[in-house]
Amino acid sequence: MLLAIDTSAGTSVAVVDVATGIAVERSVDDTMRHAEVIGALVRDCLQEAGVRPGDLDAVVAGMGPGPFTGLRVGIAAARVFAFARGVPLLPVISSAAIALDHYAGSGASAGGTGGPVLVVTDARRRELYWSIFDAPGATGVPALVDGPGLAVPADVPPGASGTTRIDAARVSAAALGRLAERMRAAGAAFPADQALYLRTPDVTPAKGPKRVTA
Amino acid sequence: MSARFRRATSADLAAIMAIERATFATDAWSAATMAGELDSPHTHYLVVEDDARPDAVVAYAGLLAPQGASEADIQTIAVVEEARGTGLGRALMRDLIAEADRRGATEVFLEVRADNPAAQGLYRSLGFEQIATRPRYYQPDGVDALVMRLGLPADAVPSPEAPGTPDAAPRDPLVLGIETSCDETGVGIVRGTALLANVISSSMDEHARYGGVVPEVAARAHLEAIEPTIRAALAEADVRLEDIDAVAVTSGPGLAGALMVGVGAAKALAVALDRPLYAVNHLVGHVGADLLRADGTEGAELELPTIALLVSGGHTSLLLVRDLVSDVELLGETIDDAAGEAFDKVARVLGLPYPGGPEIDRAAAQGDPRAIRFPRGLTQPKDLARHRYDFSFSGVKTAVARWVEARQDAGEPVPVADVAASFRESVVDVLTAKAVAACIDHGMPRLLLGGGVVANARLRQLAEDRCRSAGITLRVPALSLCTDNGAMIAALGAQLIRAGHAPSGLDFGADSTLPVTDIQVA
Repeated sequence: MLLAIDTSAGTSVAVVDVATGIAVERSVDDTMRHAEVIGALVRDCLQEAGVRPGDLDAVVAGMGPGPFTGLRVGIAAARVFAFARGVPLLPVISSAAIALDHYAGSGASAGGTGGPVLVVTDARRRELYWSIFDAPGATGVPALVDGPGLAVPADVPPGASGTTRIDAARVSAAALGRLAERMRAAGAAFPADQALYLRTPDVTPAKGPKRVTA
Repeated sequence: MSARFRRATSADLAAIMAIERATFATDAWSAATMAGELDSPHTHYLVVEDDARPDAVVAYAGLLAPQGASEADIQTIAVVEEARGTGLGRALMRDLIAEADRRGATEVFLEVRADNPAAQGLYRSLGFEQIATRPRYYQPDGVDALVMRLGLPADAVPSPEAPGTPDAAPRDPLVLGIETSCDETGVGIVRGTALLANVISSSMDEHARYGGVVPEVAARAHLEAIEPTIRAALAEADVRLEDIDAVAVTSGPGLAGALMVGVGAAKALAVALDRPLYAVNHLVGHVGADLLRADGTEGAELELPTIALLVSGGHTSLLLVRDLVSDVELLGETIDDAAGEAFDKVARVLGLPYPGGPEIDRAAAQGDPRAIRFPRGLTQPKDLARHRYDFSFSGVKTAVARWVEARQDAGEPVPVADVAASFRESVVDVLTAKAVAACIDHGMPRLLLGGGVVANARLRQLAEDRCRSAGITLRVPALSLCTDNGAMIAALGAQLIRAGHAPSGLDFGADSTLPVTDIQVA
């Protein structure tokens, strides 16, 4: 039984258990209220699923890419929740959940056909985050083939021919959780527990004091 | 852990002996001796049970105090390893001292192993004094015993913290506080006013190359530090996460992105543990720091009302605190730079590294504070009319830069020590003059300092001098509690709980401009 948290776009929280079929998701799409809503969403998901914090065996964190300030709220919450319950943290690339949702919708999740997808999300400052995935194989896990990257719209790579572009504004924590379940079942390696900022802090080292007299 | 204190009975013998043998491996009492102690009319034995595990005795202690005798003895005390550091030993000692007092004793004695400094520290903090040593008292180890004595006033009334009925001993909740408003990730743990842990992870070094705190750099550092810092605080306090009774967190004021990391972490912690959450004001937390003692001994109540001067890299505020949890008034604050920020900027002008406060302090030690008369912001009569308790440090910063540039343009050397000393004098002169004026205007004989700039030696010195002249009592918490920290946030949370305030719920956010009058955010 997993708790999944993603704040790379809005705030999405889910309790997912493939074995029992439990899948409860609560989301707020507002991209400016992560800190306000995160606690109640976690509490409400657990309540609706009838799950106590101690019943969870792992916490899934959407690591982005996503705008920094909000992204950190979910990762901080996931890390501390996992620590508090003494369960592992499973880091997952947020855009992979969007790819999973796409393939599930197209009936390709069980190793079906479906070509590659280019997942594009807003990076603010007129830039975009992008990642390219191949259709899931037998494990049901979309395979990352390129990215995640950051680019101005004109420079986003189109992917191989036949690639479907998805411009997404939200990430589903339930999809993130399902993906983590499949990765666990397949023995797949989880990415590093590192926020995917893809930008260095917007600052330049001090060059000495500015003159105040002309 | 929620603990229940009660009088021991002979039915507790097996549980007590299990702890006795585990704790005093080489010199445990026999079961027969312990049974005699429990049965004696002249003794008073207590056990502590863990509420979560009924019938699990986690600590015991015993007193020998024959009715009418003037001397009482602490016979034994032991706490199982997993429950140490949670204050059980202190609570048991208090109960036994209160019982000794009730039975008419005027002195309480105990013996403690010379190689057990932790226990000695506990007894000293309760008022025991060493009066003798018994060489090689503990056998077969050959360790000396220190004999300690506590005098009980003849007319002592049991304090509210050591009530007569041990099974009703109230315990202050164990509160974990999280602070991430600027560049320090702080996690503290307190029980009431007793400081159990104060762990700070600072990203200051990462800001040095930028000459000031970079919000995004600070926020990234918080995300990486928050879980390890919680872990370290639990280890320092020697408590388990499930023993925490409540969580407190800084909601503001501060850097929004930095605050949000702490808010997200605190909410997750509260939901994961199913504990109440208190969202509190950072500045009021600085005042609450004075409740704590850095050495971990029981702190004291704040003497209120008081004027508080909070000076840091982000704030310069003058407060009137009538009640820590319900009545804090902002008298004045900086209208431009914070004092600590001015130190950083002037340090850059003088070619000194970041952070500027300690660098200016060091350079100023060799300088003449009267060498250059730099302006005192908002001290002219026309300014005082509108800004009696406000501060401005932008002007003095610019004045220093002009003065230094004039020297440089003339090809003359800059007397760094004199400039540093004169600038520092200007800043601390205004800070202390306005703080003392606020005390006098409000008939308030107390001044409390807080914030990282309290590290400035000259600020403390001038505040002491001026307070002494004006008959004002100056209070300065330990420096480790003056800089941003989680312990002060936990301490404020503990006071809110003690005052019966409801928890904050889960809907609050980070408020970078939270007014100081909002002590708790709902």
